[in-house]
Amino acid sequence: MGRRTVEAMSARSASASVWSALRREAAFLARDRSAWAWWLVVLFLSVLAVSAGLNEVHRQKATIAHLVEADRAERMAVLKTRKEWSAVYHSFHLTYDPPSEFAFAALGRRDDAAWKHRVRMLALEGQIHERDAGHPVLALVGRFDFAFFAAFVLPLVLIVLLHGLRAGERVAGRHDLLVATAAGDSGRLWRLRAGLRATVVFSAAVLPLVVAAGLSGTAAPTLLAACALLFAYVLFWTLVCAVLAAWQQTAEVILAALVALWILLGVVVPAAGRIAIDRTVPMPSGADIVMTQREAVNAGWDLPKANTMAAFVERHPQWAAYTAVERPFEWKWYFAFQQVGDQKAQALSEAYTDGRMERDRLAGWLALIAPPVLLERALQVLARTDVRASLAYEARVRDFHASLREFYYPKLFRDDRLEPAALEGLPEFSPRAAGR
Amino acid sequence: MNPSVTSLAHMPKLQAEQLRVLRSGKEVLSGVSFNVAGGEVYGLLGGNGAGKSTTLAAFLGFVPAASGRVVVDGLDVGSDLAAARRAMAYLPEAASLYEHLDARENLDYFLQLADMRCSADEIDLALDRVSLGAEARGLKLRSYSKGMRQKVAIALAILRDTGILLLDEPTSGLDPTAIDEFHGLVRGLADAGKAILMVTHDVYGACQVADRIGLLRGGQLVAQFEAPPGGRIDTETVHRAFSPRAAA
Ligand SMILES: Nc1ncnc2c1ncn2[C@@H]1O[C@H](COP(=O)(O)OP(=O)(O)O)[C@@H](O)[C@H]1O
Ligand SMILES: [Mg+2]
Repeated sequence: MGRRTVEAMSARSASASVWSALRREAAFLARDRSAWAWWLVVLFLSVLAVSAGLNEVHRQKATIAHLVEADRAERMAVLKTRKEWSAVYHSFHLTYDPPSEFAFAALGRRDDAAWKHRVRMLALEGQIHERDAGHPVLALVGRFDFAFFAAFVLPLVLIVLLHGLRAGERVAGRHDLLVATAAGDSGRLWRLRAGLRATVVFSAAVLPLVVAAGLSGTAAPTLLAACALLFAYVLFWTLVCAVLAAWQQTAEVILAALVALWILLGVVVPAAGRIAIDRTVPMPSGADIVMTQREAVNAGWDLPKANTMAAFVERHPQWAAYTAVERPFEWKWYFAFQQVGDQKAQALSEAYTDGRMERDRLAGWLALIAPPVLLERALQVLARTDVRASLAYEARVRDFHASLREFYYPKLFRDDRLEPAALEGLPEFSPRAAGR
Repeated sequence: MNPSVTSLAHMPKLQAEQLRVLRSGKEVLSGVSFNVAGGEVYGLLGGNGAGKSTTLAAFLGFVPAASGRVVVDGLDVGSDLAAARRAMAYLPEAASLYEHLDARENLDYFLQLADMRCSADEIDLALDRVSLGAEARGLKLRSYSKGMRQKVAIALAILRDTGILLLDEPTSGLDPTAIDEFHGLVRGLADAGKAILMVTHDVYGACQVADRIGLLRGGQLVAQFEAPPGGRIDTETVHRAFSPRAAA
């Protein structure tokens, strides 16, 4: 019994001394002006990153709002000035992918993949891939959003703050005195110091994120997951820094080693991995799809109409009885060869989609050895700005376009005339409900 | 009288037994043996690179003994490091504390690090003993001279209130008056029962204050001197041994 009491007492006093050690180091850190300066620097950079993201999301939302408003009005105007199928030919239909409530934190693929289209009843694949190619520099390095800041800038701050944890004290001639004076396990001193400095960095980084998430209406589980990811990431770099800081080397050598590691994990591995993945998974370019589809459509003018209609009916046997084309130009023949253009480009388009999916899958594996990329990708998943979200949007565009065709084909094949009243039930694109 | 009590009282506080230490593969201490008892000032004398600081590092457990051993207060440093460190206060060579804290804040921090609490009065008393001017105590250490910094570090060693003090070149930054004061302080601490191992290359200073002197050269203890009862170690004799050519 006596033994157990002694053990319990020593356990209690050990935990009490952990608390007093924590208080001691916290008070010590609070007196360190450079710690406050770093807190402000990180806070400032985080505010900058978050507000850049908020601005971009705001801009995208404004663009969408403007397009939504113009979309209907423009179509109405076209339907008024043009007649029947000519009006259909000239009508644009807006499709778009609204940014999620967390998109501000990780803009991801919204920088280089299209999130809005204005599609017509014509061949679709060319219209999907004929988008403005995105900003080449942005596509390469990404925008300065929170994900970039957290993945690449935060580790540098941690490296600057932690590399001299022990070497700095050695240079100042205090290291041995600290170790000789510290009661009990002297390793605890360095762990506490590293942990508290990391807390300074984490708190300054996360604060603007939480505020912006509140302003954007981010769902609590999403925000919590993002905070947990950020915490784990800061912990990872803190451990790496603490391990190297224990090395009996000058601060400069430790700093150089940590920066080299940062370059390796943040730049070399991702870049080399991207090259390797692109080689392993070849895929057609968007331009190939545009060309193929365009050539197929252009060829449609010269091919015997029966050939076009036969190819069309392969996909739409229900209209087999209506394929006779008597006049030199008939709309059903025209729209049929547009559809056939898509059919010709379909294999390429699927290869393109599969390729992007496969590359993304491999990039996900690669990220396991490149933590900065892992964090960026994870935040993009939470923000629904990843490759999957982009592909899902393209799929929704195709579905919408298919519903347009479904709407028009019966009118096109049964009765070549199109009354304005018939346009009542025209399908409208419905974006993914916000906060899916 | 109980013989075991007598033997405990005379048990040396610091013991080096055939201590051999390698640094970067080079032997820097070869078979060094000496001990320091409570109430005694032991001066470890030697030129640059003789291995003085390494000897202290071995007692503090910063370098392992390649063979032989070091014992602190009956504890083998190789196996009982934390307890051995608790028994010693250490004044490093060119001791420097935190520049952005004042004397009291520095002492407060390092004492807490040692799991100790001292009242403001106790801290002021220690600063009195090292005669750090009252007006300096509230100033950040960055405005201190080398000697003033040294005084704060000495005050810390005093406040640790351990039975053993390891001092590495403690007087190197001090002016002659301060050196005299410091020697008086060290003498007083020894007379109060503490075991003091003082490393120095100052022959005169060592003879002023030490009860015994060990002469270290090239990692070997080449001579030992002992003060006669009630007297001092003769500076001439030590100087001849320390630097035969200069004395000739
Ligand atoms: N960290 C170290 N690594 C390698 N060699 C060292 C180290 N510190 C000291 N030495 C070497 O050990 C020897 C003794 O050094 P030291 O104990 O500091 O001498 P002293 O304090 O007597 O001037 C010297 O030759 C020195 O070069
Ligand atoms: Mg030395």
